[in-house]
Amino acid sequence: MKKDLENIEEIINNIKGNDASKLKDLLASFLKKHVKRNQVEKYIGDFPTFIEPVYLGNDVKIGDDVLLGPNVYIGNNAEIGDYVELSNTIVFDNAKIGENFKLENCIVAKNSALLFSNLREKNCILMGQIDLKENLKKISF
Amino acid sequence: MSDKNEQEIYRIKELESMNLSTENNRELVIKTGKAVSRENDILAEKINKNLVKNNVKSFDIVGAIGAGKTAILERIIEKISNDYRILVINGDIVTRIDADRIEKHGAKSIQINTGRECALNAYHIHQILKNQDLSKYDLLFIENVGNLICPSEFFLGADKRIIVVSVTEGEWVVEKHPMLFKMSEIAVINKIDLAERLRTDVNKMINDAKMINPNIKVITTSAKTGTNIDILIKNLNL
Repeated sequence: MKKDLENIEEIINNIKGNDASKLKDLLASFLKKHVKRNQVEKYIGDFPTFIEPVYLGNDVKIGDDVLLGPNVYIGNNAEIGDYVELSNTIVFDNAKIGENFKLENCIVAKNSALLFSNLREKNCILMGQIDLKENLKKISF
Repeated sequence: MSDKNEQEIYRIKELESMNLSTENNRELVIKTGKAVSRENDILAEKINKNLVKNNVKSFDIVGAIGAGKTAILERIIEKISNDYRILVINGDIVTRIDADRIEKHGAKSIQINTGRECALNAYHIHQILKNQDLSKYDLLFIENVGNLICPSEFFLGADKRIIVVSVTEGEWVVEKHPMLFKMSEIAVINKIDLAERLRTDVNKMINDAKMINPNIKVITTSAKTGTNIDILIKNLNL
Protein backbone atom coordinates (compact mmCIF):
# COMPACT_ATOMS: atom_id res chain seq x y z
CA MET A 1 0.00 0.00 0.00
CA LYS A 2 2.79 2.41 0.97
CA LYS A 3 4.59 1.93 -2.35
CA ASP A 4 1.42 2.61 -4.38
CA LEU A 5 0.70 5.75 -2.34
CA GLU A 6 4.27 6.97 -2.87
CA ASN A 7 3.89 6.39 -6.60
CA ILE A 8 0.70 8.50 -6.74
CA GLU A 9 2.32 11.14 -4.56
CA GLU A 10 5.36 11.39 -6.81
CA ILE A 11 3.22 11.86 -9.92
CA ILE A 12 1.21 14.60 -8.17
CA ASN A 13 4.39 16.41 -7.10
CA ASN A 14 5.81 16.43 -10.63
CA ILE A 15 2.60 16.51 -12.62
CA LYS A 16 2.77 17.11 -16.38
CA GLY A 17 1.06 16.27 -19.68
CA ASN A 18 -1.02 13.11 -19.56
CA ASP A 19 -0.29 12.37 -15.89
CA ALA A 20 -3.79 13.40 -14.77
CA SER A 21 -5.49 10.63 -16.76
CA LYS A 22 -2.88 8.19 -15.44
CA LEU A 23 -3.84 9.26 -11.91
CA LYS A 24 -7.49 8.50 -12.59
CA ASP A 25 -6.58 4.87 -13.27
CA LEU A 26 -4.17 4.74 -10.34
CA LEU A 27 -6.88 6.11 -8.02
CA ALA A 28 -9.35 3.43 -9.08
CA SER A 29 -6.81 0.58 -8.90
CA PHE A 30 -5.45 1.73 -5.50
CA LEU A 31 -8.93 1.80 -3.96
CA LYS A 32 -9.81 -1.59 -5.43
CA LYS A 33 -6.55 -3.18 -4.31
CA HIS A 34 -6.08 -1.69 -0.86
CA VAL A 35 -9.44 -0.48 0.47
CA LYS A 36 -11.47 -3.55 1.29
CA ARG A 37 -14.23 -3.64 3.88
CA ASN A 38 -14.16 -1.01 6.61
CA GLN A 39 -10.80 -0.50 8.29
CA VAL A 40 -11.88 2.14 10.77
CA GLU A 41 -10.94 0.48 14.08
CA LYS A 42 -8.28 3.09 14.85
CA TYR A 43 -10.91 5.86 14.87
CA ILE A 44 -12.08 6.85 18.33
CA GLY A 45 -14.09 10.03 17.65
CA ASP A 46 -17.80 10.65 17.26
CA PHE A 47 -19.52 8.41 14.72
CA PRO A 48 -19.85 9.52 11.10
CA THR A 49 -21.62 7.35 8.50
CA PHE A 50 -19.33 4.80 6.84
CA ILE A 51 -20.39 3.00 3.67
CA GLU A 52 -17.80 0.27 3.30
CA PRO A 53 -15.10 0.04 2.20
CA VAL A 54 -13.43 2.90 4.08
CA TYR A 55 -9.83 2.99 5.35
CA LEU A 56 -8.87 5.42 8.12
CA GLY A 57 -5.24 6.06 9.10
CA ASN A 58 -3.99 7.02 12.55
CA ASP A 59 -5.25 10.11 14.37
CA VAL A 60 -7.83 11.12 11.79
CA LYS A 61 -10.25 13.85 12.92
CA ILE A 62 -13.79 13.80 11.53
CA GLY A 63 -16.48 16.49 12.00
CA ASP A 64 -20.25 16.18 12.49
CA ASP A 65 -22.68 14.78 9.89
CA VAL A 66 -19.97 13.33 7.68
CA LEU A 67 -20.59 10.59 5.10
CA LEU A 68 -17.54 8.57 4.05
CA GLY A 69 -17.63 5.90 1.40
CA PRO A 70 -17.82 3.79 -0.50
CA ASN A 71 -14.16 3.47 -1.54
CA VAL A 72 -12.42 6.06 0.58
CA TYR A 73 -8.83 6.12 1.90
CA ILE A 74 -7.92 8.70 4.51
CA GLY A 75 -4.28 8.99 5.56
CA ASN A 76 -2.72 9.67 8.96
CA ASN A 77 -3.50 12.91 10.78
CA ALA A 78 -6.00 14.04 8.15
CA GLU A 79 -8.83 16.36 9.24
CA ILE A 80 -12.31 16.23 7.72
CA GLY A 81 -14.69 19.13 8.42
CA ASP A 82 -18.42 19.04 9.26
CA TYR A 83 -20.99 18.00 6.60
CA VAL A 84 -18.31 16.52 4.31
CA GLU A 85 -19.15 13.73 1.89
CA LEU A 86 -16.43 11.67 0.20
CA SER A 87 -16.69 8.72 -2.19
CA ASN A 88 -14.07 7.00 -4.39
CA THR A 89 -11.49 9.38 -2.96
CA ILE A 90 -7.99 9.38 -1.47
CA VAL A 91 -7.08 11.95 1.17
CA PHE A 92 -3.34 11.87 1.80
CA ASP A 93 -1.59 12.23 5.19
CA ASN A 94 -1.96 15.53 7.03
CA ALA A 95 -4.52 16.93 4.56
CA LYS A 96 -7.25 19.19 5.92
CA ILE A 97 -10.68 19.53 4.31
CA GLY A 98 -13.10 22.33 5.21
CA GLU A 99 -16.83 22.27 5.96
CA ASN A 100 -19.42 21.01 3.44
CA PHE A 101 -17.12 19.50 0.82
CA LYS A 102 -18.58 16.88 -1.52
CA LEU A 103 -15.84 15.04 -3.40
CA GLU A 104 -16.22 12.11 -5.77
CA ASN A 105 -13.30 10.42 -7.58
CA CYS A 106 -10.80 12.90 -6.18
CA ILE A 107 -7.33 12.94 -4.65
CA VAL A 108 -6.46 15.46 -1.94
CA ALA A 109 -2.67 15.86 -1.93
CA LYS A 110 -0.44 15.38 1.10
CA ASN A 111 -0.25 18.30 3.54
CA SER A 112 -2.99 20.21 1.69
CA ALA A 113 -4.99 22.60 3.82
CA LEU A 114 -8.25 23.46 2.08
CA LEU A 115 -9.50 25.74 4.80
CA PHE A 116 -12.69 27.09 3.27
CA SER A 117 -16.30 25.90 3.05
CA ASN A 118 -18.68 24.58 0.38
CA LEU A 119 -16.99 22.73 -2.47
CA ARG A 120 -18.46 20.27 -4.99
CA GLU A 121 -15.89 18.47 -7.13
CA LYS A 122 -15.61 15.29 -9.18
CA ASN A 123 -12.68 13.65 -10.98
CA CYS A 124 -9.83 15.88 -9.88
CA ILE A 125 -6.71 16.40 -7.79
CA LEU A 126 -6.93 19.13 -5.15
CA MET A 127 -3.93 20.71 -3.50
CA GLY A 128 -2.58 23.84 -1.83
CA GLN A 129 -2.55 25.48 1.55
CA ILE A 130 -5.29 28.03 1.19
CA ASP A 131 -8.22 29.60 2.96
CA LEU A 132 -10.02 30.98 -0.12
CA LYS A 133 -11.85 28.83 -2.64
CA GLU A 134 -10.62 31.10 -5.47
CA ASN A 135 -7.01 30.06 -4.77
CA LEU A 136 -7.69 26.33 -4.99
CA LYS A 137 -5.24 24.42 -7.18
CA LYS A 138 -7.23 21.85 -9.11
CA ILE A 139 -6.22 19.42 -11.86
CA SER A 140 -9.14 17.65 -13.50
CA PHE A 141 -9.03 14.20 -15.02
CA MET B 1 -49.44 1.59 -0.52
CA SER B 2 -52.89 3.20 -0.92
CA ASP B 3 -53.29 6.95 -1.57
CA LYS B 4 -55.03 7.28 1.80
CA ASN B 5 -52.09 5.72 3.65
CA GLU B 6 -49.65 7.87 1.73
CA GLN B 7 -51.53 11.05 2.64
CA GLU B 8 -51.56 10.03 6.29
CA ILE B 9 -47.80 9.39 6.27
CA TYR B 10 -47.09 12.83 4.80
CA ARG B 11 -49.41 14.49 7.31
CA ILE B 12 -47.55 12.89 10.24
CA LYS B 13 -44.17 13.82 8.76
CA GLU B 14 -45.28 17.46 8.44
CA LEU B 15 -46.52 17.52 12.04
CA GLU B 16 -43.17 16.15 13.25
CA SER B 17 -41.30 18.84 11.33
CA MET B 18 -43.48 21.57 12.77
CA ASN B 19 -42.89 20.37 16.31
CA LEU B 20 -39.18 21.03 15.88
CA SER B 21 -39.65 24.57 14.62
CA THR B 22 -39.93 27.95 16.31
CA GLU B 23 -42.45 30.55 15.14
CA ASN B 24 -39.68 32.29 13.20
CA ASN B 25 -38.57 29.32 11.14
CA ARG B 26 -41.76 27.25 11.06
CA GLU B 27 -42.36 27.86 7.37
CA LEU B 28 -38.76 27.05 6.45
CA VAL B 29 -38.77 23.86 8.54
CA ILE B 30 -41.94 22.61 6.84
CA LYS B 31 -40.65 23.53 3.39
CA THR B 32 -37.28 21.85 4.02
CA GLY B 33 -38.90 18.75 5.53
CA LYS B 34 -41.15 18.38 2.48
CA ALA B 35 -38.21 18.89 0.10
CA VAL B 36 -36.07 16.27 1.86
CA SER B 37 -38.92 13.78 1.84
CA ARG B 38 -39.68 14.48 -1.82
CA GLU B 39 -36.02 14.17 -2.84
CA ASN B 40 -35.76 10.85 -1.00
CA ASP B 41 -38.88 9.51 -2.73
CA ILE B 42 -37.68 10.62 -6.18
CA LEU B 43 -34.34 8.91 -5.61
CA ALA B 44 -36.07 5.78 -4.25
CA GLU B 45 -38.16 5.60 -7.42
CA LYS B 46 -35.04 5.97 -9.55
CA ILE B 47 -33.34 3.17 -7.58
CA ASN B 48 -36.33 0.89 -8.08
CA LYS B 49 -36.46 1.56 -11.83
CA ASN B 50 -32.76 0.72 -12.10
CA LEU B 51 -33.19 -2.51 -10.11
CA VAL B 52 -36.18 -3.55 -12.22
CA LYS B 53 -34.26 -2.73 -15.42
CA ASN B 54 -31.49 -5.06 -14.22
CA ASN B 55 -33.99 -7.79 -13.23
CA VAL B 56 -33.05 -7.51 -9.56
CA LYS B 57 -35.90 -8.16 -7.11
CA SER B 58 -35.49 -6.12 -3.94
CA PHE B 59 -36.64 -6.24 -0.33
CA ASP B 60 -36.24 -3.77 2.53
CA ILE B 61 -36.28 -5.54 5.91
CA VAL B 62 -37.14 -3.47 8.99
CA GLY B 63 -37.58 -4.38 12.64
CA ALA B 64 -36.26 -3.74 16.13
CA ILE B 65 -32.83 -4.79 17.38
CA GLY B 66 -33.02 -8.48 18.28
CA ALA B 67 -36.26 -9.20 16.40
CA GLY B 68 -34.38 -11.60 14.16
CA LYS B 69 -33.92 -9.71 10.89
CA THR B 70 -30.43 -11.11 10.30
CA ALA B 71 -31.38 -14.61 11.47
CA ILE B 72 -34.38 -14.66 9.08
CA LEU B 73 -32.15 -13.47 6.25
CA GLU B 74 -29.58 -16.16 7.06
CA ARG B 75 -32.29 -18.86 6.87
CA ILE B 76 -33.65 -17.45 3.59
CA ILE B 77 -30.21 -17.13 2.00
CA GLU B 78 -29.01 -20.60 2.99
CA LYS B 79 -32.09 -22.03 1.25
CA ILE B 80 -31.89 -20.02 -1.98
CA SER B 81 -28.26 -19.01 -2.48
CA ASN B 82 -27.65 -21.92 -4.88
CA ASP B 83 -30.40 -20.64 -7.16
CA TYR B 84 -30.01 -16.86 -6.89
CA ARG B 85 -27.12 -14.38 -6.83
CA ILE B 86 -27.74 -12.28 -3.76
CA LEU B 87 -26.55 -8.87 -2.61
CA VAL B 88 -27.28 -7.78 0.96
CA ILE B 89 -26.87 -4.28 2.37
CA ASN B 90 -26.60 -4.36 6.16
CA GLY B 91 -27.42 -1.17 8.03
CA ASP B 92 -26.17 -0.80 11.59
CA ILE B 93 -25.08 2.03 13.85
CA VAL B 94 -21.63 0.45 14.19
CA THR B 95 -19.91 -2.96 13.66
CA ARG B 96 -19.79 -5.49 10.81
CA ILE B 97 -21.33 -8.33 12.78
CA ASP B 98 -24.44 -8.77 10.57
CA ALA B 99 -22.56 -8.52 7.27
CA ASP B 100 -20.10 -11.19 8.44
CA ARG B 101 -22.99 -13.47 9.45
CA ILE B 102 -24.66 -13.06 6.05
CA GLU B 103 -21.50 -13.68 4.02
CA LYS B 104 -21.10 -17.12 5.59
CA HIS B 105 -24.24 -18.21 3.73
CA GLY B 106 -23.05 -17.37 0.24
CA ALA B 107 -24.30 -13.83 -0.39
CA LYS B 108 -22.24 -10.71 -0.98
CA SER B 109 -22.78 -8.23 1.83
CA ILE B 110 -21.99 -4.55 2.15
CA GLN B 111 -22.04 -2.94 5.57
CA ILE B 112 -23.17 0.61 6.12
CA ASN B 113 -22.56 2.06 9.58
CA THR B 114 -24.86 5.01 10.08
CA GLY B 115 -23.19 6.37 13.22
CA ARG B 116 -25.84 8.62 14.74
CA GLU B 117 -28.49 8.11 12.06
CA CYS B 118 -31.26 5.68 13.01
CA ALA B 119 -32.31 4.60 9.51
CA LEU B 120 -30.97 4.11 6.02
CA ASN B 121 -32.20 6.49 3.35
CA ALA B 122 -32.42 6.32 -0.45
CA TYR B 123 -29.18 8.27 -0.86
CA HIS B 124 -27.22 5.64 1.09
CA ILE B 125 -28.62 2.92 -1.18
CA HIS B 126 -27.96 5.00 -4.30
CA GLN B 127 -24.31 5.52 -3.29
CA ILE B 128 -23.82 1.79 -2.75
CA LEU B 129 -25.60 0.59 -5.88
CA LYS B 130 -23.93 3.01 -8.26
CA ASN B 131 -20.64 1.32 -7.38
CA GLN B 132 -22.03 -2.16 -8.03
CA ASP B 133 -22.55 -4.11 -11.24
CA LEU B 134 -26.23 -5.01 -10.84
CA SER B 135 -26.08 -7.54 -13.66
CA LYS B 136 -24.19 -9.78 -11.20
CA TYR B 137 -27.24 -10.11 -8.92
CA ASP B 138 -30.78 -11.49 -8.97
CA LEU B 139 -31.88 -10.36 -5.52
CA LEU B 140 -31.18 -7.43 -3.20
CA PHE B 141 -32.01 -7.51 0.49
CA ILE B 142 -31.57 -4.32 2.50
CA GLU B 143 -31.47 -4.90 6.25
CA ASN B 144 -32.32 -1.55 7.78
CA VAL B 145 -30.95 -0.19 11.07
CA GLY B 146 -32.67 -1.95 13.98
CA ASN B 147 -35.65 0.01 15.25
CA LEU B 148 -39.36 0.32 14.51
CA ILE B 149 -39.60 4.10 14.20
CA CYS B 150 -37.06 5.90 11.99
CA PRO B 151 -37.19 3.58 8.94
CA SER B 152 -40.77 4.75 8.29
CA GLU B 153 -39.31 8.12 7.27
CA PHE B 154 -37.55 6.86 4.16
CA PHE B 155 -38.46 4.64 1.24
CA LEU B 156 -35.35 2.94 -0.11
CA GLY B 157 -36.55 1.91 -3.56
CA ALA B 158 -37.09 -1.77 -2.79
CA ASP B 159 -40.01 -3.68 -4.39
CA LYS B 160 -41.33 -4.84 -1.03
CA ARG B 161 -40.89 -3.96 2.60
CA ILE B 162 -40.85 -6.75 5.17
CA ILE B 163 -41.36 -5.90 8.84
CA VAL B 164 -39.98 -8.38 11.37
CA VAL B 165 -41.19 -8.41 14.98
CA SER B 166 -40.78 -11.15 17.55
CA VAL B 167 -42.96 -12.61 20.28
CA THR B 168 -40.30 -11.57 22.83
CA GLU B 169 -41.18 -7.93 22.14
CA GLY B 170 -44.63 -8.53 23.65
CA GLU B 171 -48.07 -8.72 22.06
CA TRP B 172 -48.48 -4.91 21.99
CA VAL B 173 -45.49 -4.32 19.71
CA VAL B 174 -47.66 -4.30 16.57
CA GLU B 175 -50.32 -1.84 17.70
CA LYS B 176 -47.63 0.43 19.17
CA HIS B 177 -45.83 0.74 15.82
CA PRO B 178 -48.57 1.14 13.19
CA MET B 179 -46.59 3.24 10.69
CA LEU B 180 -44.21 0.53 9.55
CA PHE B 181 -47.03 -2.02 9.36
CA LYS B 182 -48.97 0.38 7.12
CA MET B 183 -45.93 0.71 4.88
CA SER B 184 -45.04 -3.00 4.62
CA GLU B 185 -46.26 -5.80 2.33
CA ILE B 186 -45.17 -8.68 4.58
CA ALA B 187 -45.13 -8.92 8.40
CA VAL B 188 -43.03 -11.64 10.00
CA ILE B 189 -43.74 -12.58 13.61
CA ASN B 190 -40.56 -14.37 14.60
CA LYS B 191 -39.43 -16.55 17.53
CA ILE B 192 -42.74 -18.37 17.41
CA ASP B 193 -41.03 -21.28 19.22
CA LEU B 194 -41.03 -19.12 22.38
CA ALA B 195 -44.68 -17.99 22.22
CA GLU B 196 -46.07 -20.67 24.50
CA ARG B 197 -43.41 -20.27 27.16
CA LEU B 198 -43.78 -16.48 27.15
CA ARG B 199 -47.59 -16.73 26.92
CA THR B 200 -47.57 -14.13 24.15
CA ASP B 201 -50.92 -13.77 22.39
CA VAL B 202 -49.75 -14.31 18.80
CA ASN B 203 -53.31 -14.10 17.43
CA LYS B 204 -53.58 -10.58 18.81
CA MET B 205 -50.37 -9.64 16.99
CA ILE B 206 -51.70 -11.12 13.73
CA ASN B 207 -55.08 -9.40 14.11
CA ASP B 208 -53.47 -6.05 14.98
CA ALA B 209 -51.30 -6.22 11.86
CA LYS B 210 -54.34 -7.03 9.70
CA MET B 211 -56.36 -4.24 11.28
CA ILE B 212 -53.60 -1.67 10.64
CA ASN B 213 -53.01 -2.90 7.09
CA PRO B 214 -55.67 -5.27 5.68
CA ASN B 215 -53.42 -6.04 2.69
CA ILE B 216 -50.43 -7.17 4.72
CA LYS B 217 -49.40 -10.84 4.57
CA VAL B 218 -48.60 -12.08 8.09
CA ILE B 219 -46.27 -15.06 8.52
CA THR B 220 -45.25 -16.57 11.86
CA THR B 221 -41.72 -17.97 11.83
CA SER B 222 -38.91 -19.30 13.93
CA ALA B 223 -35.51 -18.55 12.47
CA LYS B 224 -34.09 -20.85 15.12
CA THR B 225 -36.07 -23.95 14.15
CA GLY B 226 -36.72 -22.96 10.53
CA THR B 227 -40.52 -22.98 10.99
CA ASN B 228 -42.37 -21.41 8.04
CA ILE B 229 -39.24 -20.05 6.36
CA ASP B 230 -40.38 -21.86 3.19
CA ILE B 231 -43.73 -20.05 3.37
CA LEU B 232 -41.93 -16.74 3.76
CA ILE B 233 -39.74 -17.49 0.73
CA LYS B 234 -42.86 -18.42 -1.28
CA ASN B 235 -44.38 -15.06 -0.40
CA LEU B 236 -41.35 -13.22 -1.73
CA ASN B 237 -42.61 -14.31 -5.19
CA LEU B 238 -39.10 -14.88 -6.49
